[in-house]
Parts: sequence; structure tokens; C-alpha cells
Amino acid sequence: MEPLPLPSSLAEVEELIRALYQPNPPETISKIQEVLHRLQRSPEGWQLAQSLVAHREDNIRFYAALTLIIKLNRDSDGLSDDDAKELLENLIGWTIQSITDGAGNFVIKKLCTALITYFMHFSHLWPSCIRHFLYCLDLGRGASVDSLDDALSTEILIGKLNSYKIRAAIWFATFFVEEVGKTDMGAPKFVQVHSRLVKNGPDVTCLLARGFSPLQDSTDLKTQGEALNCFQAWILYAQRASPIPDLVAPLRQLVGHAINCFADPDLFQATAELFSDALSNYSSFFTDEHCNTLASLFESPWAAEHYQRVLHGNHQEDGISFGLVVLAYGDAKVNDLMRSPDARSQRFLESLSGLLAADGYLVGEDTIFVPALEFWSTFIETMIDATYSDEVESQAWKPYAEQHLKTVVMNCWRKIQWPPAEAFAEWDSNERVAFGDARKDVTDMLQSVFTLEGMRLVSFFTDLFLQALAAQSWSELEASAFCLGALSDCISDESRFDQELDKVFASHFFELLGQAQGPIPLRLRQTGLALIERYCEYFERHAKFLPNALNLLFAAVGDSVLGGPSARSISTLCSSCRAILTGEAGAFISHYQTIRNSQVLDSLAEERIVLAIASIIQAIKDRDHKLNTFEELYNILKKDFELAVQLQANPGLLNLQNPDFLRGLDPPNPQSAPPIEEIALQIALRSMRCLVSVAKGMKDVKEQPVDLDSEPQPLSSNSRLGSLQGNIMQVLVEVQRVFGTSSEAVEIICNIFRAGFSETEPGPFVFAPDAVTEYFVQQRLETPRVGTLLSTACSFVGSLYRGPKAYVPAQLARLLPWVVSILQALPQPEADTEISLNGINFVDKIMSKYSDVLFHPHHEQLIEFFFLFSIKVLDGNEPLPKGAAAEFWANFIPLTNSSSHAAASTVVPSSVMTHLGPLLARSLVRNIGGHAARSELDKLCEPLKRLVMSRVEAQSWLQQALLSPESGDVGGENAASGFPGAERVSPEERVVWLKKIIALRGGRQTNQVVREFWMACRGANFAYVS
Amino acid sequence: MSLCQNRLQEERKQWRKDHPFGFYARPQKNAQGVLDLKVWECGIPGKEKTIWEGGLFKLVVTFPDEYPTKPPKCKFVPPLFHPNVYPSGTVCLSILNEEEAWKPAITIKQILLGVQDLLNDPNPESPAQAEAYNMFKRDRTQYERRIKQIVRENAAP
Repeated sequence: MEPLPLPSSLAEVEELIRALYQPNPPETISKIQEVLHRLQRSPEGWQLAQSLVAHREDNIRFYAALTLIIKLNRDSDGLSDDDAKELLENLIGWTIQSITDGAGNFVIKKLCTALITYFMHFSHLWPSCIRHFLYCLDLGRGASVDSLDDALSTEILIGKLNSYKIRAAIWFATFFVEEVGKTDMGAPKFVQVHSRLVKNGPDVTCLLARGFSPLQDSTDLKTQGEALNCFQAWILYAQRASPIPDLVAPLRQLVGHAINCFADPDLFQATAELFSDALSNYSSFFTDEHCNTLASLFESPWAAEHYQRVLHGNHQEDGISFGLVVLAYGDAKVNDLMRSPDARSQRFLESLSGLLAADGYLVGEDTIFVPALEFWSTFIETMIDATYSDEVESQAWKPYAEQHLKTVVMNCWRKIQWPPAEAFAEWDSNERVAFGDARKDVTDMLQSVFTLEGMRLVSFFTDLFLQALAAQSWSELEASAFCLGALSDCISDESRFDQELDKVFASHFFELLGQAQGPIPLRLRQTGLALIERYCEYFERHAKFLPNALNLLFAAVGDSVLGGPSARSISTLCSSCRAILTGEAGAFISHYQTIRNSQVLDSLAEERIVLAIASIIQAIKDRDHKLNTFEELYNILKKDFELAVQLQANPGLLNLQNPDFLRGLDPPNPQSAPPIEEIALQIALRSMRCLVSVAKGMKDVKEQPVDLDSEPQPLSSNSRLGSLQGNIMQVLVEVQRVFGTSSEAVEIICNIFRAGFSETEPGPFVFAPDAVTEYFVQQRLETPRVGTLLSTACSFVGSLYRGPKAYVPAQLARLLPWVVSILQALPQPEADTEISLNGINFVDKIMSKYSDVLFHPHHEQLIEFFFLFSIKVLDGNEPLPKGAAAEFWANFIPLTNSSSHAAASTVVPSSVMTHLGPLLARSLVRNIGGHAARSELDKLCEPLKRLVMSRVEAQSWLQQALLSPESGDVGGENAASGFPGAERVSPEERVVWLKKIIALRGGRQTNQVVREFWMACRGANFAYVS
Repeated sequence: MSLCQNRLQEERKQWRKDHPFGFYARPQKNAQGVLDLKVWECGIPGKEKTIWEGGLFKLVVTFPDEYPTKPPKCKFVPPLFHPNVYPSGTVCLSILNEEEAWKPAITIKQILLGVQDLLNDPNPESPAQAEAYNMFKRDRTQYERRIKQIVRENAAP
């Protein structure tokens, strides 16, 4: 882009400025801007501004003011105090001139901003800027600051100014506090600026007092709006800077003036905003007298009219400002109001609870409810605090406060009722979410009220519930059920509330709920079913209601809306009431079978149902009966697997009329039929997910003690359980064989195993260790999700450790070569982080308890590979395996120390470290010398500390790594590169560092010293960008 | 009242006044039903137009005594399948790290929005669990399928 040449005359400059404000293509505008910027920044900028500032065109004047601001910000340092004083006189002169000759407001405001910019740079020359500005306004010209001594009092000066000048002075005072407020009042550079601003406080108060009063002059200009705006800016400043009594005291004198502005309809909005803001954020600004004035105002007929408008008006159009002011006042005085039984306070609180009953639906129409609820939540929490902290004798206020709670609860109950479906359908998604959120807020509030009211609150809602039921008022019934549901967290596990709950759960509501074509609308059905789930513990105590409740839930399982929540309720109820439901297991299985025969359930719902049934089966005491029932359930799923395998082999079998095949469609109604192998896979996966759920359901909820020294009692494969396990394992292996590329299948198998690992009693999924090991060792690197298999193997080892010891060594001896073979098959150690991480974890886990197995001579080659593998990982870039490798080495090093206690029982030859020590030291130095990320340092310090603690050779190994030029990574690719920060740290510094590390003997401070070295290697200026 | 408690009161007030749609955040109640301001139970919705849309994930935020000098700890309960969530459920995010980007001025709203952003925009530089990290890097199709399933299991009501 060719830059424009600098203009040669003032006329040309004016032309450019005019062009700047004309509609022009962006590139033209930026060219003009560029040349004008050059001009502004040049030494002639001052003169340019001066020549243009009295121009008759506003745009040109504005540009001149802007130029002045730029010059002040860039070149103030070059001005002597005398120059600066002269400049001030001129600046004020130009400002006054623009006021008197009727320049646009934007020009006057920009000149005021220029004056403030001047203050920011030269506040020492202009400490009483407000009074001086007012003085000059009166004179009609700029005057020297020194002449201020002879001026009249500020009040008299102000009295002489017309409205336009007053208005300009208020703008000035507003920008003044806003601009100064933007700077850090603690910074030495600005401390004086702030203290000078504060000294101007009384003058500002004087000015605003005038601005608030309607002026008796010919101009007819109202200044109250500007005064409010300015006042709010000063209050905000006073709050942020508080406590500054010197500023707060004069400002407080203005509160009365501001209150008077409420009455002016044009100013009402701004006044309301000022008061709700200041009351909620800075209530200590207001004195008791102010509060009294406000309280009387709230009792006036004027307030009554506004209150009625909030209750019955249109919130979108009329706003809710008045409501917000009274709420903010309530919030500020909440403690006093709560403790004051006097009539005025009580009436005021009544009006606040009334705000919860405004016309219209939440939240789209009634926007005051949520803020009002917020106030009442605060009120209730204040009550709770006082109830716990006050002496009982001094709680005379409590009955009064409780009276309000009744209204609050009642109003909320009304408000959260669902609108008719037609109305709801018209809401947009935001309104729907907000309605749900408001109901959630009510839930919170009710739980707080419960803390105070207990049983009374429960009966209040059970009564409402029964009344609404009798009257068949469905939305009221729904709200009552919802509120009772909200209290479930508080009362569900306490039997003393059962009598109240009996009324609800024995009512004929649940009969109505069960009727397929009954009168109950969908929302109420949802809430009713949710209520059952929430009171799970109640049903445990009252088994007689349970079958009915579950029947209801089962009946809803096929419903597209209710199915999901019902299935969840079924699983919650069955899981926690399993012991009393054992007699129902068979019936539930037939229920499940029947539903399956008629429709395809949502797969997640189905998983929850089988989990529910399995958890009941788990509780059956009689072993044979338990196995029979389990097999009944398992056989349903097993048929799916068989079907999937057959379909894969023989695609001609597909029949999409049959629900068994439809199970393979995911999503349920695809636009075009997926390939047959996909259908087959989905059938298998879906049932496998169910099988995981069954396995989870079969987990014992109680902890059984384990005797670690007991003799293992392997299940005979001829036993019933043994052959069942064999069958399940066979199915799993078969599915994996047929759908070998499916990573999800492997993942599911892992989850099934994991479910069994935590069990201590025999069960269908508690496979014999041999069987699990056998499964693992068949897997290869090519198996999908082999990393997850390795992590499952780690869990398996964990479960072995929790069982009889005699099992363990043989399994480990088979698993170890398998794990290492997978690591060996990796193209590079970092090719798959999950494999490297879990492989290292696995070896570490063996080492922690069975180092004799790990270091058995038989495994010598494996372990040699592993050592080098883990050092390569330590040298690499992947944080997770690297962390595991660091941990492995930290655990390994002490085992090699012949003098340490731990070594007594191990078989690690001390000579191993002679070879590995230097390699490890090199890797650690490379990392600490800048290669590692900062977050990895603590982990890397552990092996370093152990090395220093356990090995006398540590010093020489580390020294070699620090000083030899070829210290690089083990792979040799980066050999000769040294450690990354080698250039930044001299050999002498390295030696000093090493001495420190050795002297610390593995102490905690090592981490700090390591960190410093790392920082030095990264370059001292490396820091987190904040 | 301590600085920590004061700040949390203020956070609570601000949250009530203004919180992003679909989120919730409230202090837990202790056995007596009194609020424990130092442990918050929060819900993070999956962002619209991402694979996380429709899910709502429960997060427990625990504030240390030194808050706001020190950051709170955020933990998904149950642990979430995500590259930057530790197997314990703890979230790994720079703004939650005292040594990285934590600043006392960061609000609860900003934290929760930050965690929401993280859901669909994992940071591969700081993996916290191998499973999700590995799948995210190596098999994006399978990763997304898995997320969709998790979203179904944690559907927003």
C-alpha cells in the first residue's frame, strides 16, 4: 500500500479529517488514518491541534481534541512545568469556548477527557482541578491555577454557572473519577493521583448538589440525569477504595438528592439502577437515616403503585426495576429485618414474599421471581445461621420470620407449576431451561427451609398432595410431588417421616399412574415415577409398596419419554432393595423377556434393567436357586451372541421383521439399512454391554473378609459354576474371534473381567486366575485396545494380591513374558502411550511385591529389555509413560542398595546398576537440563533423590552426565547434543549444582534446587505467561 | 469471616445473579443441613454443536483454606473419560494450577466455562489419563463414539 504524502497545508489536513468521517472504502480510511497518525505524532502535532480546536466544524474540533490527548500521552515528558501550566490554561479555554459557542456534546466531552488526561500527567500542577475548572467556567476563560486563591467559595461559583456549564462540569467530574479509577491505587506512580482525586470530593459534592436541583435559568436543560450518573461513578470509586471516610462523608450528603429523583419518571430507571447497585454491593455506604428515608418511601402511595405494576404489569415492557430496588434494600438489611417484629419491617417483608407471586409464567413472563427467590434464600440462610448461633432466649423474632416462610413456600409451590402444554410449546429453549433452573433453585430453598421446619414442611406438602389428588388438580399434584421429591435427600433415610410418606405412597395416585390410558398427564407421570426413585430407602423399609412401584416402572419402560428414567429408577430400587426382592427375580426376568419380544428397548434402558435383575439375583441366598435364575437371564443374552455369530457367517439369515435382528440397528431407525456385518456386530455389542451390566449387578455390595494365607480352592471345571464360567469365557472369546476388529468388544471384555476382580466370593464372573491369564496371553499387539488389556492386567494383579498368596507367583510368571512381548513388539516405545504406561505400571506392580519373580534368572533377558525400554521412555516426550518410568526407577533403585533394608529379601544383583546407573543419570540430567516440562520435574526428582540416597556412585554418574559432551539420549539419535540447556549453564555452575544435590542427600529441597537448574537451562526469562 | 469464606459468599451471590445456561453450582450441605461453602457440587453441560451436547457432567469443586490465593480442585464424579481428566476424576487445566495460569480473580463461572471448553477441546500437551488420550490421538472415530455413549449415560434431564 502506497502511503499518502504528508499534507502541506492546514486546509489539506481539514480535507483529510473530513474524508475520514465520510463513507469510504476501508483501505482509503486506513491510508488517511495512517497519515493523520504520523502528523499527530510529529512535533507539529501540538500546533496542529491548536489551529483546529476552534474550528467551526465539530468533526475537526473533535479530531483536534483527540490529537491533544495523543500528544499528552506521548509527549508530556518533554513539557516543562511552565509549558504545562500554559497548556492547561489553553485547554480549559478551548473547552469553555466550545461550551459557549454551542459545539456538539461529543466535542465538549472529548475536551473534558483531554483535561483528565492532563490531570493524569500533571496532577501536581492541578490538585484542585474541580474547583479550578468551575472557577474558569465562571470567568469564561482559562486562568492560572495560582489565581484560584482569590476566587470565591465553590458554592458561590457554582451558583453563578448556567446549566450548560454545570453539565460540562459534571461530565468532567464523571470522566475524572472513571479514568483515575482505572489505575492501580496501590501503585507508587498513582498514589498521589488518587489522593488528589479524593481531596476534590467536597467540590464534587457541591457541584452535584446543584446538578440534582432543578435549575432556575433560561436554558431549560435538565442536569439530574448527568448528576445521577456521576454520583454512581463516585460511589463505585469510594467502594473500591474503601475505607476513605474523607470521601464517603461528603458523598453521603447526596443520597437524599438522589432519592428525590425516583419521583421523576424520566429519571426513575437510572435512579433505581443506582440504588439497587449500591445497596447490593456497598450497603455500608448508606446511613440509618438514609435507610429510614428509603423505608418511608417504600411505604408511600407512589411505591404502592410501582409495586402493583411489578406484580401485575408486563415485565418485558415495564421492567422490574422497582422490585429489584426493594429486594436490594431487603438484602442490605436482611439481618435487621429478620430480627425486627415491628409493623413496618413485617409489612416490608410481606411485600417481598409477595414478589414471588407476580402474574405470569416463570421465567419468560415473570422475571422478578428468580431475584426474589434469591433474596429469600439469603433470608432463610440468615435464619439458619442465627438459629445455630443465637441463644434460644433471644430468638423472639423467630415466630415472625417463620410466618413469612409459609407464604414463601406456598408462593413457590404455585409458581413452579407447569403451564398448560400449549403455553409450554411456545417457549423457546432458553425459557425452558430457565424454568427448569428456577425449579432447581426452589429445591435448594426448600431443603434449607427443611432445616428449620422439619416435619411441618413435610406434612405441608403431603397435605397439598392429597388435596390436589382429591381435586384431580394435576399441575398442583405435580408441584406437590416435585416438592416432596426435593425433600427426599433430607428425609428418605429417616423412618420418623414414614407416617407422613405412607399417606402419599398408599394413596390411589399410584393406581392412577399404572393405568395405561389413565388421566395422568405425562409430566405428572414423570414426576410420580421420579418420586419413587427418590424414596428408595423408604421402599426398603416398606417392602409392601415395592412390587407395586416396580410394576409401575416396568410398565413405563417401553415409553419413549419415560423409558429412560424408569429404567434408572428400576436399577436404583432393585439394587438397594435387592434382599427383599429375591422372590421377584423370576417374575422380573419374564417381564424383561416379554418386553423384549414385543419391542426394541433403548439400549441404555435395557442395560439398566438387566443390571437391576442381576443385583436381585446376587442377593439370592440359595446357591442353586441363584445359579438357576442367573442362567435364565444369561441365556437370553447368550442367544443374542449366537445370533450375531450366525448372522456374520450367514448373512441370508437377516430378517428385519424380527425384534431380535432389529436390536442390531443403531440408531434404531436408520435412513438406510446398514451393512449386515454392522448389524451383526451391533447385536453382539449391545448384548455384551448388557452382560457388563449383569456382571456389575452381580457384584456383592458388602465387603467380605479375605484370608490371605488360606489355601486356594480352585473351582472344579466340572462344578456347575465352573462350567458356567467356562461357557461365559467361551462366548467372550468367540465374539472376539468373530468380531476381531471391534475395539469396543475388547473394551467390554475388560469391563466384564474388572467386575469380577473386586469380588471375594465365587460367582459367574469371578473367573479362575488361570482362565483370565490364559485369555490375556493369547492377545497380541495387533489386538485392538491392547493398552486397555494391559491396564486390565494391572487390575488383575491387584486382585490377585488381595486373594490367597499361593495363586500369585505362577500367574505373574506367565503374564510377565506376555506383557514384555507386547512392549517388544512396539515399533517405538512411544508408539502407543497406553501400552507403554500400563506395561511399565505392570512391571512396577510385580516389583512392589514379587521382586523375586521379576528378577528370577529365567527372566533375565526380558528384564534387560525392560530396563532399556523404560530409560528410552524416560528420555521421551510422553508425560504419562515418562511419569510411570520415573516412578519405576524410584522404586527400583533402593532394591539395588545392598545396605538398605529392602534389599535383604531381594535378588537384584548390585552390579545391575553399574551398567544402568550412568544411563539413568544421563537421562535424568537431560530432562532436568531443560528437556522435561516443568510439570514433570517433581516426578523426575524422585529417582534422582533415591539415586543420591542409595548409591555412592551417584555423584560420579551425574557428574559424567553433566560434563561429558556426548550426554544424549540412549537411542543415540541425539548423542553429542548434550542436555538442552548445556549452553546456558557453565561447567562450573553444573559442578556447584551437583554439590548441592549431593549435599541434600535426597532431601525435600532437592525439588527446589532441580527447579532452579531447569529454569537456568531453559533461559532465565522463561516464565508462564499470565 | 475469613477471606476464603467471604470470597465464596460473594461468588455464590454472583453465581445466583448471573450464571450460564444449563450449568448449576451450589455449595454442599453438611449433615446438619448447613451449607459447606468450601465444597460445591456443579454440573457442566456439554457445549451445543459438539459431540458433548446433551450431556451434563457432575463436578465437585473443593476450595482450600488458602483460596483464592490457591486454586480450587475440580473433580468429575464419577471420573470422566477425557484426555485431561486423571483416573481419579481430577481435572488438569492450566487455570486450575497454582504454578500456571491460576489467578485469584478467576471466578467460579470462569472455571466452569473453562472446564466446559476443555471437554470438546482437550489439550494433548498435558494428558492425564492414557486411555482417553491414546484414543483421542490414535482413533478419533472410536473416541467420538465413546463420547457419544458417555453423553447418553449422562444425559441432561
